[in-house]
Amino acid sequence: MILGLVQILFFQSLGELVSKFVFPSLPGPVIGLVLLLIWLVINKNISESLAFVADGFSKYLGILFVPAAVGVVLFLPQLKANAVPIVGALVVSVVLTIACSALVLKLLTKKTDTHE
Amino acid sequence: MNEKNSIVEIWVYLSGSPLLALFITLAAFQVGLFVYQKSKQSPLANPVAIAVILVATFIQVIDMPYATYFQGAQFIHFLLGSATVSLAIPIYRGLGSLKKRSFPLIVALLAGGGASILSAVGIATLLGADKTIIGAMYSKSVTAPIAMGIAERIGASPTLTAIFAVATGILGAILAPFVLNALGMKSWWQRGFPIGVAAHGLGTSRAFSINHEAGAYASLAMGMHGIVGAIAIPVLFHFFNS
Repeated sequence: MILGLVQILFFQSLGELVSKFVFPSLPGPVIGLVLLLIWLVINKNISESLAFVADGFSKYLGILFVPAAVGVVLFLPQLKANAVPIVGALVVSVVLTIACSALVLKLLTKKTDTHE
Repeated sequence: MNEKNSIVEIWVYLSGSPLLALFITLAAFQVGLFVYQKSKQSPLANPVAIAVILVATFIQVIDMPYATYFQGAQFIHFLLGSATVSLAIPIYRGLGSLKKRSFPLIVALLAGGGASILSAVGIATLLGADKTIIGAMYSKSVTAPIAMGIAERIGASPTLTAIFAVATGILGAILAPFVLNALGMKSWWQRGFPIGVAAHGLGTSRAFSINHEAGAYASLAMGMHGIVGAIAIPVLFHFFNS
């Protein structure tokens, strides 16, 4: 488990450095993600320790955004004042997003994937 | 009297250390997980939403300023970055599926991601939302840890972005089956991928609970949307706001 954490913190730090000096418009952790992905592709192998840490993170990912989301207390009046546009935008947008990508998949695979 | 004083002292001591904030965050999430499991994993009983409501209510009742709470809870918040890096593992596992169908999947991702931003920002603008609200709409279909990083880069509120992202995940997990049935989507991979594009982590876990192939493709979509979104959303944001 420790080896996996060391690897993740290493790529996270590397990502932060690249973000600071090379691509300031990209968040450091996203660069770290891409670098780790490249490293995995080159090595063609995920160590047991890394898989353990990553599966733990993805299982309990939700708790990590609780501290930031509790900041909702600072925005309550603004959320109330904008309730209609917020609910409208979120509901319609999620339906359209699912529909657009589903339709694209349907149209683009009709010809090639019919044997499946 | 003496006894009462010592209780107050313990209280003051606890709220000055990170202990109280860490404890209420973990305890509230545990309650959320319990309710989620009891409800047979209904998307309506989302553990994150339950935890946020419990913690927000609690700190308002005891009159704890958000800044004080966050000072303690920042140790949990810090791990968001590490969790983002660790998303490389599910993406790596999904690369095989991507190779098989890379063209339709990439076009579907771009279409879905574009539709997400245009519709959310467009509707919020048309209905007269504040600028802060509109700014937080841009990355709401990207997985929350990356969405918050993007929000910081484009000068939007990471908090509002996280809230919209979680709400989108819940809505997507609930609405996806209806939309996909209405469009007559039959194969599992074609049902899973759009859920991951639109509703990131929460949609993905819902897809996994229905079918493994759908879940794998949802997880791949979530990862791809995270990377592409981090690159493209700041560019789009400056294009719309210049």
